Amino acid sequence: MKTRAIVPNGVVPTLCRMCDTRCAVNVHLNGGIIADITPFDGHPVNQGRMCPRGAAAIDLFYHKDRILTPLKRMPSGGFKEISLDQALDEISGRMASLKNEYGARSIGVWKGEGLGFLQQEEYARRFIHAFGSPNYFSNDSACFNGRYLGYHLVCGFWNAFPEFDQAKTILLFGTNPPMCHPPFMREFADARQKGAKLVVIDPRLNPIACYADIFAQPLPGTDGALIWGLINYLIETRNYDVDLVERFSVGFEKIAAYAKRFTPEFVERTSGIFSHVVRDIARLIVKNRPRISIFPGAGLEHHENGVNCVRALAILSCLCGNLGQACGLFRPEPLGQRSLCLYDELALPADDRPIGAERFPVLYEVRRECHSMTAMDYMLGDGAYPFKGLLIAAANPAVTHPNTRKVENALASLDLLVVSDFFLTPTARLAHYVIPAATFLEREEIHLNPKRQLVNITTRVIEVDGVRNEYFLWRDLAHRLGFGPQYFPWPDERAVNQWLLEPTGLTVEELQRHPEGYIYKPPAFGKHHYLDFPTPSGKLEFASAYLKNLGLPEIPVYTPPYHLQLGKDEFPFVLTTGARKSLFYHSRHQNIPRFRNVHPEAEMEIHPDDAAELGIANGDKVRVVSEVGELVIRVAIKHPGELRRGVVEIYHGWEQWRVNLLTYDDINDPISGFPLLKAVPVRIEKLPPD
Amino acid sequence: MKVVFIEQDRCLACRNCERVCSFQGSGGFKRENTSIWVHIDMDDRTIFTLTCLQCENAACLNVCPTAAIRRDPATRAVLVDETVCIGCKMCVNACPFGCIHFEKNRRVAAKCNLCQGLPRCVMNCMSGALHYGDVNALAAIKRRKIDRTMINTTLFSRGEHRQ
Repeated sequence: MKTRAIVPNGVVPTLCRMCDTRCAVNVHLNGGIIADITPFDGHPVNQGRMCPRGAAAIDLFYHKDRILTPLKRMPSGGFKEISLDQALDEISGRMASLKNEYGARSIGVWKGEGLGFLQQEEYARRFIHAFGSPNYFSNDSACFNGRYLGYHLVCGFWNAFPEFDQAKTILLFGTNPPMCHPPFMREFADARQKGAKLVVIDPRLNPIACYADIFAQPLPGTDGALIWGLINYLIETRNYDVDLVERFSVGFEKIAAYAKRFTPEFVERTSGIFSHVVRDIARLIVKNRPRISIFPGAGLEHHENGVNCVRALAILSCLCGNLGQACGLFRPEPLGQRSLCLYDELALPADDRPIGAERFPVLYEVRRECHSMTAMDYMLGDGAYPFKGLLIAAANPAVTHPNTRKVENALASLDLLVVSDFFLTPTARLAHYVIPAATFLEREEIHLNPKRQLVNITTRVIEVDGVRNEYFLWRDLAHRLGFGPQYFPWPDERAVNQWLLEPTGLTVEELQRHPEGYIYKPPAFGKHHYLDFPTPSGKLEFASAYLKNLGLPEIPVYTPPYHLQLGKDEFPFVLTTGARKSLFYHSRHQNIPRFRNVHPEAEMEIHPDDAAELGIANGDKVRVVSEVGELVIRVAIKHPGELRRGVVEIYHGWEQWRVNLLTYDDINDPISGFPLLKAVPVRIEKLPPD
Repeated sequence: MKVVFIEQDRCLACRNCERVCSFQGSGGFKRENTSIWVHIDMDDRTIFTLTCLQCENAACLNVCPTAAIRRDPATRAVLVDETVCIGCKMCVNACPFGCIHFEKNRRVAAKCNLCQGLPRCVMNCMSGALHYGDVNALAAIKRRKIDRTMINTTLFSRGEHRQ
């Protein structure tokens, strides 16, 4: 591969995008080659430290398997290298004819995690909107949106990352920050050294639980019962923020009446968490409120009862008096930059019916995002209208989306599938056209860190011959389709960034002078900033009239998870998927050899007593069977404390061992449409040794 | 002299130090090649991290029959010269802390060399448990913690509370 660095020798600061934490790093160039990546000292996110994923961006950038030329699938099934111009001409030609035949809505885009959010997401949204289709999909439909909606429905906002180091008690629900948010570790350690208590609630005992003061291990999918138990304790003992409830909230009486049944003993019967542990956690909250940090992980939202669980958590935060606290429900102020989205500018045809908007209206109305699981039905011909073409930007649904077989069939049945990615992923292998994608080192984009009200611009450190970044993909397609001059007039992403920043008074050059991050406004804390909430009633909505009108539960009632309703006869185990691994990022980075030293092969984690009962030893192969499908995988027998009996765990991103063969796409949360991924009933069959 | 020291109560056991340390010596992330160890005891639910203490009177250095182990004049780290090491493993036997080990591929003794003064484990410790500095800084950190406890206890005994 031929590359061009912006400076042949020197050190260039930028932000890492090997995961979405976006730590500040220094890229060391030597003779035009990236020689090393080290932490940038002075950025508040990572404070001069980094994780091994950062330096491995070199391995990603120079990877021998990287796609450097567009590929076209031949009738024989193989791929042929073609020029970028030919690829874009043919893709835009196909898009235009599909639009003619079936309408613009027959084509959609799907933004993936491999590229990032924010600006990359807005490019994709702008492109498909200008094309005339409402069908924007993303990985957020199976990660993030559930939590966002949960908080949004109660408070009208969500600051995902509170200032943990300001808390006196930190509660983590279904998350393993040392693996998925490494910079949190410093904040937890700071808080604990100042005397804060750490409470970890997770069906799997991760090492962070060894660091915690209290570890509680609920049955998968029953967190809601515990959260209601804590709400009940605060209300029963009148240890909640009365002023906040009276002045700022609606629906308190309704939740108070509903919470009554969640006594610690009831919580124990439902979730398996001992009643005295429920009381211990509740007392910690009472003692240390309002200085409580609550962080919900993806573990809460990957259930059919997920959003209500997150809503209950948001209510718990409010009752703690968390509002306006740095460590709690703090609403960051926006930078005020322009948006690339066209929702306010260009009306979509009223009868276009975004996919899934009728099934999951909240998802579309709040997030302007279509439901990717419903999209599979459309692709297979079971939708309200034909859906024929999809452009995927660095997403890998053939691995990470529920019900893999169905996803593969759906993608394979499309008339046009375009995948832009670094590697020939299982999703890319199904595509008609594969376009090489650029890594974060090859683009300039604006990154916001709302928690600190801080903005950064990244640097285009290096370019690869023949590889153009995502902005050019959307721009060049837009120009070929005729709406380029109007909606993608900028010659490059520098011009986009200048346009985005214009209303803020900031310039690209100014931001480039601040690799440590530019604080656009110091955060202001305190309850008095919150006289008005961006909710329909303008108040904190413990009960939501909006949901009630849609025929959904007004208050976040707890529904027992599916596996408890199904009974244990046919499927005696419950499978929880997707506990994070420190080096992988969902389905990414499996092809980095040194990472495979740490995670060489997929494993199903199981309790030693369950393994003994099934007569299986460490490393044996088993067949895991669910209502959806089956998977053959090796067994790793864990310490008896790590998992409850009857619970097994498999990582979600393996290309070779796709756990989503087992997961449901059709058991969904009624609000977010999220699939059931983390409490799947399964049975385990021993296989003869190979 | 500067050493890698550990605030044990900041370690959350992400194990990234082990991986980048292993990479320095082997180009891979295998745990068998690391010279810093995070020990997680699931029975006790404890975490303890240890690496070479760069002893002033180092047992490994003293016992080495070929003088393959010497002190780096620049960093004062105790180093193994792999061209001189005969692989006798006496150092592994002598180290009271288990912080020097036998490298199975190159068949020589291996230990922390402080990465020529830029220890990667510290650079990759995102919880801030690992530091590279004068070990007396660790003593100062511990004293600060005790000071804080004492102040709070004193205030409490006077009936005053502090946020």
